[in-house]
Amino acid sequence: MARMKFLCDAERCIECNGCVTACKQEHDIPWGVNRRRVVTINDGVPGERSISVACMHCSDAPCMAVCPVDCFYRTEEGIVLHDKDLCIGCGYCFYACPFGAPQFPQAGAFGVRGKMDKCTFCAGGPEANNSDAEYKKYGRNRLAEGKLPACAEMCATKALLGGDSDVLSDIYRERVTNRAARGTPSMPPWGWDTAYGRPEAPKQPAAPPGGAKS
Amino acid sequence: MLLTKKSDGIAAAGPRLRRVAGARLSTMDRRTFLKRSGLVAGAGAFASQLPYGTIGKAEAAAEGDAIKREVKRTVCTHCSVGCAIDAVVENGVWTRQEPVFDSPLNLGAHCAKGASIREHGHGEFRLKSPMKLVNGKYQKIPWQQAIDEVGDKLLALRKEAGPDSVFWVGSSKHSNEQSYLVRKFVSYFGTNNTDHQARICHSTTVAGVANTWGYGAMTNSYNDMGNTKCAMYIGSNAAEAHPVSMMHMLHAKETGAKMIVVDPRFTRTAAKADEFVRIRSGTDIAFLFGMLYHIFKNGWEDKQYIHDRVYGMDKVRDDVMAKWTPDKVEEVCGVPEATVFKIAEMMAKNRPSTVVWCMGQTQHTIGNAIVRASCILQLALGNIGVSGGGANIFRGHDNVQGATDIGPNPDSLPGYYGLAAGSWKHWAAVWGVPYEWIQKQYAPGMMEKPGMTVSRWIDGVMEKNELIDQDSNLRALVFWGHAPNSQSRGKEMIEAMKKLDLLVVIDPYPSATAAMAAMVRKDGVYLLPACTQLETSGSVTASNRSLQWRERVITPLFESQTDQAIMYAFAKKFGFGPEFVKNYKVVKPDGDAKWEEPEPESVLREVNAGCWTIGYTGQSPERLKLHMKNMNTFDVKTLRANGGPCDGDYFGLPWPCYGTAAIKHPGSPNLYDTSKHVMEGGGCFRANFGVERDGVNLLAEDGSYPKGGDLTGGYPEFDHVLLKKLGWWDELTDDEKKRAEGKNWKTDLSGGIQRVSMKHGCHPFGNAKARAVVWNFPDGIPQHREPLYSPRPDLVAKYPTHDDKKAFWRLPTLFKSVQEKNKDISKEFPLVLTSGRLVEYEGGGDETRSNPWLAELQQENFVEINPKDANDRSVRDGEYVWVKSPTGAQIKVKAMVTNRVGPGTTFIPFHFAGWWMGKDMLEYYPEGAHPIVRGEAVNTATTYGYDSVTMMQETKTTLCQVAKTTA
Amino acid sequence: MIKQAILAMAAIAVAVGVAACGERPQVIEYKQGKYQGKPDTPPYDAAPFSGNKTEWERAVKTRNQSQNEYKRIS
Repeated sequence: MARMKFLCDAERCIECNGCVTACKQEHDIPWGVNRRRVVTINDGVPGERSISVACMHCSDAPCMAVCPVDCFYRTEEGIVLHDKDLCIGCGYCFYACPFGAPQFPQAGAFGVRGKMDKCTFCAGGPEANNSDAEYKKYGRNRLAEGKLPACAEMCATKALLGGDSDVLSDIYRERVTNRAARGTPSMPPWGWDTAYGRPEAPKQPAAPPGGAKS
Repeated sequence: MLLTKKSDGIAAAGPRLRRVAGARLSTMDRRTFLKRSGLVAGAGAFASQLPYGTIGKAEAAAEGDAIKREVKRTVCTHCSVGCAIDAVVENGVWTRQEPVFDSPLNLGAHCAKGASIREHGHGEFRLKSPMKLVNGKYQKIPWQQAIDEVGDKLLALRKEAGPDSVFWVGSSKHSNEQSYLVRKFVSYFGTNNTDHQARICHSTTVAGVANTWGYGAMTNSYNDMGNTKCAMYIGSNAAEAHPVSMMHMLHAKETGAKMIVVDPRFTRTAAKADEFVRIRSGTDIAFLFGMLYHIFKNGWEDKQYIHDRVYGMDKVRDDVMAKWTPDKVEEVCGVPEATVFKIAEMMAKNRPSTVVWCMGQTQHTIGNAIVRASCILQLALGNIGVSGGGANIFRGHDNVQGATDIGPNPDSLPGYYGLAAGSWKHWAAVWGVPYEWIQKQYAPGMMEKPGMTVSRWIDGVMEKNELIDQDSNLRALVFWGHAPNSQSRGKEMIEAMKKLDLLVVIDPYPSATAAMAAMVRKDGVYLLPACTQLETSGSVTASNRSLQWRERVITPLFESQTDQAIMYAFAKKFGFGPEFVKNYKVVKPDGDAKWEEPEPESVLREVNAGCWTIGYTGQSPERLKLHMKNMNTFDVKTLRANGGPCDGDYFGLPWPCYGTAAIKHPGSPNLYDTSKHVMEGGGCFRANFGVERDGVNLLAEDGSYPKGGDLTGGYPEFDHVLLKKLGWWDELTDDEKKRAEGKNWKTDLSGGIQRVSMKHGCHPFGNAKARAVVWNFPDGIPQHREPLYSPRPDLVAKYPTHDDKKAFWRLPTLFKSVQEKNKDISKEFPLVLTSGRLVEYEGGGDETRSNPWLAELQQENFVEINPKDANDRSVRDGEYVWVKSPTGAQIKVKAMVTNRVGPGTTFIPFHFAGWWMGKDMLEYYPEGAHPIVRGEAVNTATTYGYDSVTMMQETKTTLCQVAKTTA
Repeated sequence: MIKQAILAMAAIAVAVGVAACGERPQVIEYKQGKYQGKPDTPPYDAAPFSGNKTEWERAVKTRNQSQNEYKRIS
């Protein structure tokens, strides 16, 4: 088994926020705390793309590198978790994270005042699996139930994938192979078009009445 | 918005009501439950993998309590896709939800609403007990008092002003059984003044499409879009309104299908399209016929298909070639010739191609004509009755299709039987009551007269009595699962609410009705808590006509009762209790904690016994439950079970599923599909409009018939005479013969006529041509007509609206006089105002705006405005503006400056309510039962305008002005 | 004075430099018992997998395929 990863297919994501509420209801997450959110670029103009973002469970995680109290750890599945009993809520990880993953709930949420909270890949934290304490501090531990993150499992268009990166790459490969062989031009086969932009993609909003989308 | 964790309650809401007097059942929330019972290590593990419907083994909890864990399979209540959900219930509390990967409709996928539906099992902001408005404040009252007081008032009104003085607004959120019961209930009360959301969502589709080819429903399915080569969404924002349907479309795109979006807005659906075309709001006919112009000009039409299966295409062709030349098309809808040509070519050269539409086409004064233009396009291309083609009309609410089919419609009895004496006699026989008894319940002469529509109840109250086509004005209104803010002309609605004698809300949520009424009234308002579909069982029809059975997840929360229990209680109060439940088993699923109610299964059996017209006869509760248990055996693209206990069936037995359940018709996945035998779900166009017109044959031509049929050309609908003529009469059993004598395929309660005709491979409803010309409609050939409030005075002169009508659905209805009066209104109100959906909310939004997980995502209402229009008005992104309407109404919303809308167009989502022209109505809601998010209802600002056939309201094209709040 | 100060600073710099050499690696590898926080158990540790890693991996892998609609739609 390889590492656990998320992969969001921007050609599929329709910004429906299913992942966001799936996460919120599974872990009972309060307002203002978003372990996962959907980010849209070029909103409302041709080239609009959305992507669902949470903790990416980096292999060389900046949060882990900077944490002054060393509260992060990585499980053997490659999931980055942290110990809320150790966390001092300083926000250094917030500063270091390129994805805005760390969240800082108001008092009372998740049973601990002011501690950092983030996506756990539905794998709980350093408490007994599926214990009351784990649920209160970190949310559900779906992984211990043999399930995968709620967000990916409930994604409306199967844009968001979550699981063993080896399996994910198989799934994604099948898609892009299909796109390359059969797909329409507006659905570019390879992810880097989305990541780095297409030269022909219009940079400026230009949508005259009746204008066709490139 | 100080929302903290659920268990801590919401700052403004006060403490969550945990125990309600009278409710003896558990209503604790999940955290409380978890606190009390402790969590077992690993206990939740395989809960969702338990076989459907079984109960998990009770496991010892850490603190010694045993947890009874059950998994209930239900269906999302938020749109017509029909996403299945496995609800995990522990000791009666809904603790978790798991995706149902087996479902062929959604494969476990959910949008924001479906993924957070578990909130409805907790319902912090629900209406928790019956309430009564006393001196301008809502007060709790006991249930019995509520039934008695409301019942007595209605009985008094019935006596004094006649049964037609009461209007019953039913619901598309009712299950099939409940919506069917509502139609029966109002009939026993003695009125046709009933309606539901379909009026304001797809009534124009239902009428327009049914009159074109037979049935007014989505012809294919979301799943079948996987077989298309090109899909054109025109007036549909599926990515927000039907998000999970996009899974099928995007998969199809990945495997080669092209996707086109035609819309005034660059929607999230458009973001996924190969081609986006921006048209001016309300000009769909110009665009569609512009496409048809190129199709005819280039000879792309399917000539054989048209010859065999379409009536009147030649006349349409003449009209199109004369009227819709590229210059005219561009003048009206703003799209240049090259683009129209390109789209026409894409649709023609990538067949089978499909057209998808929603409210963008239907909610216009010419909605019935717009949808027919779409039908004609598909007929010309030979795309109807073809897998991958079709008219994929996405319905809105989860059961709006079912409620349309068998629910509270003012012009029809369940199954589209109409209101003629013969229809009444048919249903009287099914219901087991004398026809004369029903007749006595009605005011003389009113039984066969279509009632008013939900879009016009305001006028039923306010219009001068001498101008309306019934004795009394409306004096009481019952909103039974319907929001007020989805209807247009809010400013006038509040006056109508003021004038009513009695206003009753029966709903899980108090809805904006409660607040609006309390704002203008001191008394005469009652709020009765109904439970959601997750607290009862029953069937639900998805947009693709598939029925699914919902298991009951939990006991009705708080003091709420099921709709069927409330209905039965009122039936008893009105004195027709025994007649109402004559054929049903009456059950008490919760013992003495809740009322007795008709058992949903036995109600469905009665539906099966009566709805022959649309084949709601084969979907027995047993068959539906079997499908729910064996979802994994159905193919996702065809919906057909391959092996297993449902072998050969299509998922959910999409109607028509003719004959009795015993003959095992598999359901019809794609309507009018001649490539299949009728006993395998095949079909043809319906013979519903005669056999010839002006010497032209209306039946299908020779050689065009459902596969394997014994009759190889057109034929009329089956009745006892035709069976005898064909020599097939003796294939009926003796009992069938006795019951089928003198009957036709729709009224033969034995099902014999259907059985025998299908045995011979013949469609019971005949085999005819579709009608490109619907001669019984105001515009037989669809004509573009400018909206009543048009931004283009020059085009009003060229494309004027209809003449005013008298006594149309019992009310005078204005067209030309309004248009004439407002010919130059665009000088003062230059911006087009259109409305639509957001993914987070549904309908009027009271339920979804009360769900904290959804509410967080959309906290304020807004108006989308183009940067040019914003700059012209010194409006900045994110600031409050006034949106001013020609009616004098003005609403305060946030400006969202975006290129999503073109210059000259504004858009406001319609799910919001709870503000009234700048003022938060919080104080008018019953305490603790207000939605978390409140905002201005766009319909406070919408204007007059109704479809010339169905009374659909015009909400998609009206005018407004946007101004800074400081100005 | 100045010389002394420079020397002192150099000494401090050396000391700091040496200290830096002794710093823990920046990326923490979670090793049971070594990480300063609380220990965590692997997901397959408790019921229903009760320590059977292979069984858990198989379960997760199978479940992962439900995110792949190509398994059911051609």
